[in-house]
Amino acid sequence: MAELLEVKNLSVSFFTPAGEVQAVRNVSFSLRPGEVLAVVGESGCGKSVLCKSIMKLLPRTARIQSGSILVNGADITGYRERDMHKLRGKLFSMVFQDPMTALNPTMTLGAQIGEAVRVHQPGLSGGAVRRRVLELMTLVGIDRPEERMKLYPHNFSGGQRQRGVMAIALAGSPGILFADEPTTALDVTIQAQILDLLRDVQARLGTATVFVTHDLGVVARVADRVAVMYAGRIVETGTAEEIFYDPRHPYTWGLLRALPALNRGRDSLYTIPGMPPNLVHPPAGDAFACRNEYALAIDYEEEPPMFRVTDTHCAATWLLDQRAPRITPPIGGAHG
Amino acid sequence: MAEEILLDVQHLTHVFPLGRRMSVRAVDDLSFQIRRGEIFGLVGESGSGKSTAARCVMNLCRPQSGRILYKGIDTCDRAAFRANRRMLQTTRQLIFQDTSSSLNQRMRVWDIIAEPLRLQHVVPPRGSLRAEAAFQMHYVGLDESFLDKYPPELSGGQRQRVAIARALAMEPELLVADEPIASLDVSIQAQIVNLFKHLQQEHGFSFLFIAHDLAMVEFLCDRVGVMYRGRLVETAPTAELFSNPLHPYTQALLSAIPIPDPRRERSRQLVTFHGENLPPGGALREAGPDHFVLRSLGSGED
Repeated sequence: MAELLEVKNLSVSFFTPAGEVQAVRNVSFSLRPGEVLAVVGESGCGKSVLCKSIMKLLPRTARIQSGSILVNGADITGYRERDMHKLRGKLFSMVFQDPMTALNPTMTLGAQIGEAVRVHQPGLSGGAVRRRVLELMTLVGIDRPEERMKLYPHNFSGGQRQRGVMAIALAGSPGILFADEPTTALDVTIQAQILDLLRDVQARLGTATVFVTHDLGVVARVADRVAVMYAGRIVETGTAEEIFYDPRHPYTWGLLRALPALNRGRDSLYTIPGMPPNLVHPPAGDAFACRNEYALAIDYEEEPPMFRVTDTHCAATWLLDQRAPRITPPIGGAHG
Repeated sequence: MAEEILLDVQHLTHVFPLGRRMSVRAVDDLSFQIRRGEIFGLVGESGSGKSTAARCVMNLCRPQSGRILYKGIDTCDRAAFRANRRMLQTTRQLIFQDTSSSLNQRMRVWDIIAEPLRLQHVVPPRGSLRAEAAFQMHYVGLDESFLDKYPPELSGGQRQRVAIARALAMEPELLVADEPIASLDVSIQAQIVNLFKHLQQEHGFSFLFIAHDLAMVEFLCDRVGVMYRGRLVETAPTAELFSNPLHPYTQALLSAIPIPDPRRERSRQLVTFHGENLPPGGALREAGPDHFVLRSLGSGED
């Protein structure tokens, strides 16, 4: 199948007074139409920067150092702001973490969705815009839209606001939706509803979704494929089944073992020792080596390449090298 | 476990006025007890009144009606509060959710931790306030190099540890933690939850733990109360609540816990609960040993 989005060897750096922060290092991935890709990692691992660099929403201090971003085969890496303006909303749009700050508190929800509709279809008459707004609100599951479109964001609950933000993001019928921790600010029941909505919208409109989160628990419900990021690199990528039933990278093991659902009946939760490395001076070798109880001597010297496990499953760990000792993974396989 | 009841909340009601005619019953006839050395979890969706209940327990809100007995002292009674002021102010401590706003950005870490000691004129048992701060830091798993840092220099998990160290400096008996892990990464959440469990098991602290993450609550708490629209709908020991939820809202809440298993997760059915199904009134009835469920008056359910 043709790739909708292809990112090749992308590196993004921030230039700060403390030095160059290598936020994204040599990241490659691809996204097919109608697919949900989950990007998982701790805060500061570069997952939000990755989304923003594809949408070119980075601050001036950041620069794409190398690599290319291909959308439908066209290279948009060098696009200027004017060209990007035409793509945003139509080709890709974004749902942010906090629906409180993403909406304008002085405009009604209907007016805000209508504004997005008008930007994408400037010639539309007032009645047509209204119809489209009602259609979008129904799509994202806001019931009684005729009444609700006249209300302000503060009249809505957190989950309803997040639905409104999604309606705005979907106004231009984008091919790719970036959802940056869309459920982190919401509680469990609402989170489950929003995840179902994402899945439902994706199935009905065929929108490809990049779902960014730090919680592997929520990934199982929505994702077709999962990419695990650590210290600016993708360390493991595979289908959801492969990541949950047969994880290969020690960092993925750590993330899975920290989930309370897999620690039932135990005295304490597993935690990954240590702290993520400083990205101003990333350590030589594997960035995860100093927190990795399975680290080999070579991990401290040379960065591991991506080893192929299957056609869809790759992991960057020396444990997959033929010369590496055989170890029994602490997790995976058991509940397959 | 000693059966001494440390905190006894009886028929607590708190109403926030919203203009002249409207008001919100944030907490409505809430009763629960926390025994010494126990972790009691209060769960519910946002806006269900969990935080207001915690604020009433900590005397940050004055309840409309009801009593809060802490070690048998009614903390809402002004005369009783004055008579026991020092004890009440030192043995109950609160940990807030958002450490980027609850810690003073312009104070050094050791100053933050030692501030309550200074305010209460406690003679530091380990010589100096700084030594006391270093001891508490070590206790929560931070090393002494952090003593002279400022909160913005720390990560979220480290800041939450500083907030916990500050609460522990007063050697409290009851810790009220209002969503202490909601804003943290999963692996950091695990560290903080382990720390709480350690504090309870090794040092006998009692907790009122407020959260909406049920998976963590199941792991950490001894007993759980489920709140919905200001009311307690079900309370039971954790294992009992999670294996045998009786109230429809509890069932809806439990069905929303994500399972880290794609095949089971995709086939999982969400149970939804509509507030209209919950008529006002009703009382908690005993459904099993230590297991209470809200049974509405005149409803069809038995």
